[in-house]
Amino acid sequence: MAITIKVNGTARHADVDADTPLLWVLRDVLGMPGTKFGCGIALCGACTVHVDGVPRRSCITPVGSIGYSAVTTIEAIDKTPQGKALQQAWLDLEVVQCGYCQSGQIMSAAALLAATPKPTDADIDAAMAGNVCRCGTYQRIRAAIHRAVKETSNA
Amino acid sequence: MRDSRRSFLKAAAAVSGGLIVDLAWPAAAASAAVFAPNAFIRIDRSGGVTLVMPMVEMGQGIYTAMAMLLAEELEVGLGEVRLEHAPPNDALYANSLLHIQTTGQSASIRAFWTPLRQAGAVGRTLLVQAAANQWAVDASTCRAALGAVLHPASGRRAGYGELADAAARLPVPARDSVALKQSKDFTLIGTPAKRLDTPDKVNGRAQFGIDKRLPGMKIAAIAISPAFGGKPKSLNAAAARAVKGVREVVRTDEAVAVVADHMWAAKKGLKAAAIQWDDGPNANLDSAAIIRQLEEASRQPGAVAHNSGDAAKALAGAAQRLDAVYQLPFLAHGAMEPMNCTVHARKDGIDIWLGTQAPTLTQAMVAQLTGLPKDAIRIHNHLLGGGFGRRLDADGTLHAVKIAQQVAGPVKVVWSREEDIQHDLYRPYYYDRLSAGLDANGRPVAWTHRIAGSSVMANRPQTEALPRLCSRISRGSRSS
Repeated sequence: MAITIKVNGTARHADVDADTPLLWVLRDVLGMPGTKFGCGIALCGACTVHVDGVPRRSCITPVGSIGYSAVTTIEAIDKTPQGKALQQAWLDLEVVQCGYCQSGQIMSAAALLAATPKPTDADIDAAMAGNVCRCGTYQRIRAAIHRAVKETSNA
Repeated sequence: MRDSRRSFLKAAAAVSGGLIVDLAWPAAAASAAVFAPNAFIRIDRSGGVTLVMPMVEMGQGIYTAMAMLLAEELEVGLGEVRLEHAPPNDALYANSLLHIQTTGQSASIRAFWTPLRQAGAVGRTLLVQAAANQWAVDASTCRAALGAVLHPASGRRAGYGELADAAARLPVPARDSVALKQSKDFTLIGTPAKRLDTPDKVNGRAQFGIDKRLPGMKIAAIAISPAFGGKPKSLNAAAARAVKGVREVVRTDEAVAVVADHMWAAKKGLKAAAIQWDDGPNANLDSAAIIRQLEEASRQPGAVAHNSGDAAKALAGAAQRLDAVYQLPFLAHGAMEPMNCTVHARKDGIDIWLGTQAPTLTQAMVAQLTGLPKDAIRIHNHLLGGGFGRRLDADGTLHAVKIAQQVAGPVKVVWSREEDIQHDLYRPYYYDRLSAGLDANGRPVAWTHRIAGSSVMANRPQTEALPRLCSRISRGSRSS
């Protein structure tokens, strides 16, 4: 019995057990590899997506728990003003090194800005603490979030 | 030159899925390249420029830096180029300092600074000559800029695409015979250019090895013997197969893999298999025992790396003696992208998709494992979600090949994070014992330093390329 979820505004079907984490449904069943696998136990943040706008670790979110909620992934975050501004700020400040964690970083940052349009450094640190970057791009991530705030408030 | 061009085109044709910066050229453009003066440059009739990257991108920005070296001399804008991962080929793409096509040791720019500039200059020289011939003017009166040749005296201009056919018919000059630009004329080198690989890394489009998808591809979860040299003793394959989405249970000498439609089914299947291990000869090996051995070894005489004066005598006569032990723990590389490798094994050839720092070494080791000729092992490189030296080794690829040989069609083997850490090729434990003797004024008069640890090369199977790489790495840092 296929499970139906709404991903980036489109209804998608997956014939999987309800306990299957959303991460593997996205990556392996729906063919959306932008959401990354890093640890599988919600310790690294690489798999972060939004469920009704709230950041969620898709690696421990059973697909059966989604129901009618709206799932947003990195592939569609440019449709939100915060997501678009963050992507541009990421490029302007050359945040990225290897890039593997950056889908999750941007998703966490976009959720932060949606909830807290003008975050302080402390807000940023708190919101981003669960996103690990092995290359160590944290300082530039913080600067890029501030830059995105500036760009969106100027707009 | 003709031969090397042909072999390059053949090698280039083997590249697939290597496109990382795609500025909307049609997909067919890459195969339509008509001008390929060397292994690094291809230009098609529409003026599309493809640069082939011999070293791999793992966050250090090398794809941008190498593209800058080529584009500077070829006279194309960075915004106009597509990048492709090089296929494995030491003859064409070896790092001249490491003598092998390997990314590491911070050696990429040092090695490729001149060769890539020369490659670009060869391309530019030929394109300028082709234009000069067409216009019946002296080549020295023409100049190249932004993907076109200009003849300022007459105001004529020809794009590289228009010149590609004619340039391809000209004899290729020796790379050290062409003029390189003077540094004062650089327009790219030395500028803070924007990274070419990052736009796709902020929108989820970048393709790391783990993102490979193929028609009919299955996903495998793997469990490797927790003890070095151990083997699977028994497992419940029926229970694994009963999990929805599981297709096959595969056993190799040292591992078990469950092949499924997606990773969750594979992981559940692996758990259901309840594998029992025969721990083998190293059943009782643990860190404490290894450290004890190193502690003992640090007190014994060993190979002398350097000796001057009589340290023992000076120590004995010193006013004060200081002794210290420094220990470096085992460390896993812990790249963000867990180990993974996608393989399609057929009887007469194997396709492998992964991000590797050492494509030719990987190819050689798979050839050794399977008995197939190297040409039949096609390595399709990808962006690396972190390397740190972990992706120099081919252990993950060999596991994946052994599994794929038992599976019909392509299979992507993805390690759990737990497997990734447990089966890392750790930076070895090092036990350093130091003694110093000081005189009455506290000035050092003697110093001894004994180092005990295992070689990072000890577990690497030998291939023809390895001794050269080993000698480089042992002379350099401990972890590359």
